[in-house]
Amino acid sequence: MGKKKTLSFTFITMIIGLMLAIQFRSVQTPEVRDTRDTWQLREDLNEEMELKARLIKEIRANEQKLAEYETERKQGQELALKNTLNELKEEAGLTDVTGPGVTIQISKLDDELLLDHLDYTLSPDLLRRLLNELNMYGAKNVSIGGQRVINTTVIREIAGETKINGRSLKNFPLEIRVITETFEDAQELYNRMVVSKAAEEFFIDNLKVNVLEPEMSVTVPAYEDSIRIRNIESVKADKGES
Amino acid sequence: MWLPVLGLVVGILLGFMSNFSIPDEYSNYLSIAVLAALDTLFGGIRAHLQNIYDEKVFVSGFFFNIILAASLAFLGVHLGVDLYLAAVFAFGVRLFQNIAVIRRILIAKNSTK
Repeated sequence: MGKKKTLSFTFITMIIGLMLAIQFRSVQTPEVRDTRDTWQLREDLNEEMELKARLIKEIRANEQKLAEYETERKQGQELALKNTLNELKEEAGLTDVTGPGVTIQISKLDDELLLDHLDYTLSPDLLRRLLNELNMYGAKNVSIGGQRVINTTVIREIAGETKINGRSLKNFPLEIRVITETFEDAQELYNRMVVSKAAEEFFIDNLKVNVLEPEMSVTVPAYEDSIRIRNIESVKADKGES
Repeated sequence: MWLPVLGLVVGILLGFMSNFSIPDEYSNYLSIAVLAALDTLFGGIRAHLQNIYDEKVFVSGFFFNIILAASLAFLGVHLGVDLYLAAVFAFGVRLFQNIAVIRRILIAKNSTK
């Protein structure tokens, strides 16, 4: 037998041996004989059952935790949204606001002071001027005669009556409530309003402006109607972005 | 003469010592490859005894048969036909024939001595 022949035979027998061994190992999964008797089997079964119960308990606890986290997360989002919504509502004037502020009363002049006839008309120009002054001196939220003044509030005269938000202002004394940022602001506003020129103008219309001392807690009511926004549309959210 | 046997032993030892095993679904392929290899080996021994041994035929036949058998089995699995049985049959028959020829040659050699 040539040397080369022997080598190739050796090579191939080696490969065959390798394959045989691997095949043997793969096919012959060692058979483990079960020699446990009934009681041992029972015990083992019990153990496994306990393990199963424990695992199920664990799974349940984890699922519960997961659910808790989920709700927490959702509520967190909800809370943030609600907070934002409330903030926006507050800013828009849809909520009652309480804070340090000043109350201004506009009342009729005493009858003795009146020269001739009774004519109590609160002119919208005057009211607007007063409002501007209030805003200038740091008013944050204002209500006039129980009507909240918001960005879209209109003060105008309709058929001889001064109206704010579409409601007549003819019940005197008229109360203007002003809320400021801090109590100091309220005091400053009070001081300015006491010497205000606008207040004096009311006298011409037979009205008296009485600025009350600043208080720690003045409540301004919410805007009663829904705010109508024309010519503005909400942007449609893209799908998948929620 | 003893070198091939030594190779077989070394291969088996190597296979058992290495922690290598084949997944169940592929054991079919390996078994048929083993069969093809054995067939080739006995064919080689017979050719050697008949003095018609060709190195190239032997080595190429070894690998070619293995690959052919494995691919036949693969095709069978994918066609849903147990095609590997054909390979088993063919290799089995040839194995028996080869071994028979080898036996006869050995007997003839022994009786002439």
